[in-house]
Amino acid sequence: MLASGLNGITLRVNGRDHELAVAANVTLLEALRENLGLTGTKEGCGHGDCGACIVLMDGHAVNACLVLAVDASGRDIVTIEGLAEGGQLHPLQQAFLDKGAVQCGFCSSGMMLSAKALLDANPDADAELIRRELSGVLCRCGTYPRVIEAVLSVENGINRSGGEG
Amino acid sequence: MSVIGKSITRVDGVDRVTGRLQYAVDTVLPRMLHAAVVRSTKAHARIQRVDVSGARAMPGVHAVITGQDVPCLIGGMIADQPFLATDKVRFVGEPVVAVAAETELQAQMAADRVIVEYEDLPAVFDMEEALAPGAPLVHEQPSSYRRIAKCQAHDGSNLCHLHEFTTGAEGVERAFAQAERVFEDTFAVPAVSHTAMEPFAAVAVCNPVSGEYTIWAATDAPHRRLSEIAAALGIGSEKIRIIVTAMGGGFGGRGAAIAEMLAVALAKFTDGRPVKVVFSREEVLAASQTRVAAKLTVRTAVTTDGRILARAADMLWDNGAYTSKSPEVAARGGMTVVGPYRVPNISIRSRLVYTNKQPSGAFRGFGTTQTSYACEVHMERIAVELGLDPLEFRLKNGYVEGDSHFCGQRLTGVGLAESLKRAAASVGWGRQKPVVGPGKRYGRGIACMIKGTNTPTVSSCIVRLVADGRLHVLTSSVEIGAGQKTVMSQFAAEASGVTIESVRVSQPDTSVTPFDFGCTSSRSTFHMGNAIRLACEDMRARLFVTAASVFGLPAEGFDLTDSVLSHASGLTLGLREALKKMGARGFEFMGQGTYTPAGSPLLKRDPGNTADDSIFWLFVTHAAEVEVDMETGRVRVLHIAAAHDLGRAINPLNCIQQIEGSVVMGSSLALLEELKLDRGRVCNDSLLDYKISSSEDMPERIDPIIIESDNPEAPWGAKGVGEPAAAATAPAIANAVHAACGVWLRDMPFTPERVLAAIMAQATPEKTVDGHRSS
Repeated sequence: MLASGLNGITLRVNGRDHELAVAANVTLLEALRENLGLTGTKEGCGHGDCGACIVLMDGHAVNACLVLAVDASGRDIVTIEGLAEGGQLHPLQQAFLDKGAVQCGFCSSGMMLSAKALLDANPDADAELIRRELSGVLCRCGTYPRVIEAVLSVENGINRSGGEG
Repeated sequence: MSVIGKSITRVDGVDRVTGRLQYAVDTVLPRMLHAAVVRSTKAHARIQRVDVSGARAMPGVHAVITGQDVPCLIGGMIADQPFLATDKVRFVGEPVVAVAAETELQAQMAADRVIVEYEDLPAVFDMEEALAPGAPLVHEQPSSYRRIAKCQAHDGSNLCHLHEFTTGAEGVERAFAQAERVFEDTFAVPAVSHTAMEPFAAVAVCNPVSGEYTIWAATDAPHRRLSEIAAALGIGSEKIRIIVTAMGGGFGGRGAAIAEMLAVALAKFTDGRPVKVVFSREEVLAASQTRVAAKLTVRTAVTTDGRILARAADMLWDNGAYTSKSPEVAARGGMTVVGPYRVPNISIRSRLVYTNKQPSGAFRGFGTTQTSYACEVHMERIAVELGLDPLEFRLKNGYVEGDSHFCGQRLTGVGLAESLKRAAASVGWGRQKPVVGPGKRYGRGIACMIKGTNTPTVSSCIVRLVADGRLHVLTSSVEIGAGQKTVMSQFAAEASGVTIESVRVSQPDTSVTPFDFGCTSSRSTFHMGNAIRLACEDMRARLFVTAASVFGLPAEGFDLTDSVLSHASGLTLGLREALKKMGARGFEFMGQGTYTPAGSPLLKRDPGNTADDSIFWLFVTHAAEVEVDMETGRVRVLHIAAAHDLGRAINPLNCIQQIEGSVVMGSSLALLEELKLDRGRVCNDSLLDYKISSSEDMPERIDPIIIESDNPEAPWGAKGVGEPAAAATAPAIANAVHAACGVWLRDMPFTPERVLAAIMAQATPEKTVDGHRSS
């Protein structure tokens, strides 16, 4: 603990280390949005019920509102801002656009990061598994059928290079 | 190349998938303060004492305000809602004290120090009890409130608004007296939450010298919100500016100044520092607005061969404690209880009732998620009891091109019959039932509906063709998440003749973008589409006049297509190059368009008729296949075919999103959703307890079917698509459940408990009626 009563932590977010001083009760979600200004991660409920705040922590999808920032110290965090690389959309991002899996977009970061965790662990997930594994992200626009199609299309390689082929 | 009818990728799509869009909750301004709200713990009580001294002494606190500090009443139809409660509270969750502090935590800790003492008053929660003589009054003197002319006050009663319509009382009476058969059913529809994934949020700043407010908000109608807030504050509308942020869904829930009201109230007391209000999910569920709960009694007189002779409806609508748009929901929305049918005799009474509950308001479909459910399950029962095929019964009575709506308007562009036939075909209507597992029953059901749009309303638009060849579209049409910016870009490209890549659609800002009635009533595509068309025609005319003088050619021979300026004489120039030749640096060509359907020949010419006409009518049919578990009562929705007459699909993928999305919402409303109240207190105020459909709960298969029809005033044929789908799903499922196991579901939602109770109450469960034996 620092003299200020705050805790010194190192958050590794999207491949870059950030030294932060945070209170013990600050969540990873608050640290991302307020300390780092990474507002692509959304708060829909604050209780882990809606999945809008899902980020990847060491490759696993976690609700950032349920993780304390101090517990995320030293872990590898990926947010929606880190999904596109080298000026190219990630295949999932491209597929979400092409298949119409984004409407208002408030759940989209949680949805895409959940999908990434799923595909990384299970590159051949079928529609049934995708439906089940993404059920932790609520979408009131009802994009679920489009999301499943988008994730399947990434598996099939249609969007592997961010376009055709 | 035409961009109409093409599934153009969202023009703001990259921002949307990379997390760069700034929603209201993301707004950050220098020196911004954060708010917390102390809310009533009582459903109905007199405020005896408010002690804010403890809160004011807390660290980081800048303002602690009560109702005495902002004696303002707000409401677009009836201004009966205080920003903060003054003498009494009228629902659990009503704002009583607001705090602004350096951080959200400091604001919340200060709010926790506020002491409010109440004297309990008798409360009313049930609509019928509220209307009974001697019931406690939610509002002592409604006539003292500012209100629009059509909302008459009913002092001494909890009746908030009364709407009555009849084609002629005598005719209705005679039809019922002489009819071969009369059917009557009563349905109950609960309050539900819009549950947009982005909670309500707003930031407001007040210039302490000029008294001018700037508000950053996710609102569906910035110009109307501005008027409502200005009227409430008693200041000129020129003193308020609303800048619309990106928006995490709306569904009708952003049709009132919910977070804006609190941000504005605090902003006056913070010395010019901006104040941000963000609702918790609990506040969204328990202390914002709901769909209007309703109790609907529907009576119909028919001949034995299935001709409808008369329809009477007596409807109670729950306003809650304060008034948003519910008078209009009960009135205009209530009229859709007649359904898309030729009915010669109609009598409707709609009563909106004050209760000590969370206020209600607009919800996607504007009354049709309530009325279509009642109408269509009732219609199904009539068909079944008359021994008619439910599809044939609907086709027999359903509107066709050229029919007269009961408002006196001749109907143009009626895709109802096609929607019925195609949805039915998609679920195998009339075919043998597939075999399902032991203890399960299978059924098919169908339901259709009609929805108009608020008429007449106005949309205006300005386009600027700038020197580099881009076309800026200044519009207050809100991108609520449905793809409005993309469709507006398609219209602008098509109408102006620039490529779609050259079009930029603005964010609404009331100080910059011209008036638009709002992103409501499925109206944006139709109304703003027409305004954009007019603005682009205006711009082209100016461009061609200048081109004529610069190039020495007659103006009438010019054309602009795909950003290439050409003339019949053979001149062909890229637009940028042409613009360079045509004006000094900074020279622009502007166009302006205002569209209103007022005076359109498509509208009714029946001045004595008080029923509302509509510049377009949407027709929708959903057909459902379900499997009912006879042991648990669980309804599994196997398939929804959703056929939508939307005029013409400008962007088919966006239309499919709207249709599929509202089927997901519609089945969620049908099977899962209800705000559970205990003496006015919302018990299920989390997304764990208030369950909306996840990917696992949605229908296993959804087939969107786009039906096109002709409306001569529609921009490139497009009517609208946003609202109606959510309404037809529930009755289609209810009717399929009846076909499966013979029970009528007259209360939503169709939870396993409710379905099982109905199955067990059924005297002779084996004598089920198959709702689709012929076709």
